[in-house]
Amino acid sequence: MSALTRPRSAVADLTRAERGVAGFIAVVSLLLLYGLFSGGLGPAYFLYLLGLVGMYVLLSFGLNAQWGYTGLINFSVAAFFGLGAYGTALLTADSSPLAGGFNPLIGLVVGLALAAVVAVLIGIPTLRLRADYLAIASLGLAEVVRLIVLNQNEWTNGSAGVRSIPGFFEGWPVLETFPQAMPGIRIEIIPGSPIVLGQSFWQSSLNVALVTIFVAVTYLLLRRVHRSPWGRVLRTIRSDEDLAEALGKNTYAFKMQSFVLGSVIMALAGVFYTHLNLFVSPGDLEPINTFYVWIAVILGGSGSNRGAIFGGFVIVAIQEGTRFLGNAFPATLPVDLPSALGVIESTYATVVGNFASTRLLVIGLLIVLVMRFRPEGILPPQRELIWPAALDDDTPAGGRAAPGSHPTETPADGGNAEADEPSTTGGDRSAGGDERHATGDDRSTEDDRDE
Amino acid sequence: MSVLEYVANGLVFSSIIVLASIGLSLVYSIADFANFAHGDTMTIGAYAALVTFGSVGGLGIAVLGLPLGFFVALAVGVAVAAVVAVLTHKLVYEPLDAGSIGMLITSIGVAFVYRAVVQLGFGTDFTEFGVPILRPIDPLVDYGIRVTLHDVAIVASAAILVGTLHVLLQYTDLGRKMRATADNPNLARVSGIRTNRVKLWTWIIGAGLAGAGGVFLGLYNQLSPRMGFNILLVVFAAVILGGIGSVYGAMLGGFLIGMVNQLTPLLTDVGIPIGIEYANALAFVIMVAVLLVRPSGIAGEAAT
Repeated sequence: MSALTRPRSAVADLTRAERGVAGFIAVVSLLLLYGLFSGGLGPAYFLYLLGLVGMYVLLSFGLNAQWGYTGLINFSVAAFFGLGAYGTALLTADSSPLAGGFNPLIGLVVGLALAAVVAVLIGIPTLRLRADYLAIASLGLAEVVRLIVLNQNEWTNGSAGVRSIPGFFEGWPVLETFPQAMPGIRIEIIPGSPIVLGQSFWQSSLNVALVTIFVAVTYLLLRRVHRSPWGRVLRTIRSDEDLAEALGKNTYAFKMQSFVLGSVIMALAGVFYTHLNLFVSPGDLEPINTFYVWIAVILGGSGSNRGAIFGGFVIVAIQEGTRFLGNAFPATLPVDLPSALGVIESTYATVVGNFASTRLLVIGLLIVLVMRFRPEGILPPQRELIWPAALDDDTPAGGRAAPGSHPTETPADGGNAEADEPSTTGGDRSAGGDERHATGDDRSTEDDRDE
Repeated sequence: MSVLEYVANGLVFSSIIVLASIGLSLVYSIADFANFAHGDTMTIGAYAALVTFGSVGGLGIAVLGLPLGFFVALAVGVAVAAVVAVLTHKLVYEPLDAGSIGMLITSIGVAFVYRAVVQLGFGTDFTEFGVPILRPIDPLVDYGIRVTLHDVAIVASAAILVGTLHVLLQYTDLGRKMRATADNPNLARVSGIRTNRVKLWTWIIGAGLAGAGGVFLGLYNQLSPRMGFNILLVVFAAVILGGIGSVYGAMLGGFLIGMVNQLTPLLTDVGIPIGIEYANALAFVIMVAVLLVRPSGIAGEAAT
């Protein structure tokens, strides 16, 4: 299991999908590094992209807690993101039409609290009903929030958005002046195209550090709660709500907790985005942003936090990559076709000339194709659902099921023991003491329940 | 503006919403999922009519202020929407091995594809049917109602379509089979009803009505690639208000939501400061309020 001591067997342990993902990440990283060293990609922009990835990972984590764990279908991701973003923006920005100038930490707390309150309000009428009501009602709620932000000029500045938002570390000792204090560095790896690490680079690296902390904390928290008895109830609700009810669980309360938890994580992403971008506008609350996050989660694998991370990378690749491609392709087809094939030329010109629409087309096709051919996602949750201790005790190395052979819709196939996570972590062992008595036969019940 | 004028506008807007929500409700009851591509099916119908109207032009004499060519375009719009929906059903939904939530998510992808194709073909700007702009009908202006013959045409056409659907559902063989399939698909199948064929007809009728709704929406407002998606949420509110899966509930819900939507400015007159920009939001608040009191909607069955 330890990739450090036996790298070759660590590779052999991966499923085919995992190898594909690893290959994808390697190729993208190489491309990015090439762009970085050849000067085509500014280091500060590179870090900004990483920040965006972190933001999408957070959003995907939030949606995973609702959809992947509990099966709640929430189409108001953009609204909760926006509540976090506007919550902190209106409190911290100098130009805020409300009371501005507060410390971003206060903005963080208020943004998250706002999201939690709204989550409860929308959850009360809809979580008792069948699943698709929540889908429609939450999409409606997202629209209400967007309309309020757009039209209540006296509170939110309306369509002009909120400007002059401070960075997250404004008002902190040391960190506030860190970017100014760091020296400018000039590196020249490829002759003629030096990389300059200036103030904006250090500012961006602070942001990346911040989002890394947010993601890591959220990841550990989610993994912890997902493996806890609470998380097991959520999974039962997802696969068979009546069963959970019959076992004496108050499914409504569990769904509400999961809904609020996920919404708060989405708001956290919004808070981060506000202090990354330093500008928010009602356009950030468009429904399309909700569906970006849905793609990240479905593509990665519903219920899988590894999948959510992968999905975050793919979304940023789609968003920023197509922007880049749209400029890179020539506006007309470089070869002359016979006039009979003129339709190809005109189609090409249309597609390249309207890359925003093409991006929408790609996203739509991606959703349809994933749902058609791989509804469980690229990296369905595997060992994430099992207590590490149970694995070490019960699973001999040879006794694994065939990897990737379960095209099940439910997120769990606990029998597959392949994963690239370290098998034990200190945090889990120490925190999980009171549940570990159940781990011995836990794995088998999970198999029965989820498949 | 007078109250009567708001009511008249509400009637026109309701007609469009009713056409759209019947289609959505039909598909909901028989294919058993919330079809998020329904709004963009309306857009497809509207743009198909736009293209047709551009080529046939102001053909023939005018009926209710609309040239005969417009009704040809309407028919083409309905047909194209139906064909696109049937193709989508055959290519995407039928081979799909997923529950209703999986279908719902897939339909979002389908909606994006529809909208992207329209955007690639026509750009993202607003456009209009090239029909002459009419003056309000004179005798009605005396009562403070400013409606054009086009508005009358929309209401009349919708009434004819809804009436035809009612006859179809209640008095024809296909209608009986559709009701049976919606009620209990398994029982319908063992009773010898070819439910797959019924499903196909449901798609044709539902998408056709959506196409008609789209054409009228384009005539009432303007055409844009987002027109269908923007109205989809209001249509969902109407369907939920009426009771998911109930065609007659959808008619009632569509009528009520359309009316509320256009009567929103009256709230300011009675002292509630909610502007017209919140008309759509109001539809949602009503929907959620109904869900709290009567989870299955006005005409829905008790068990959800």
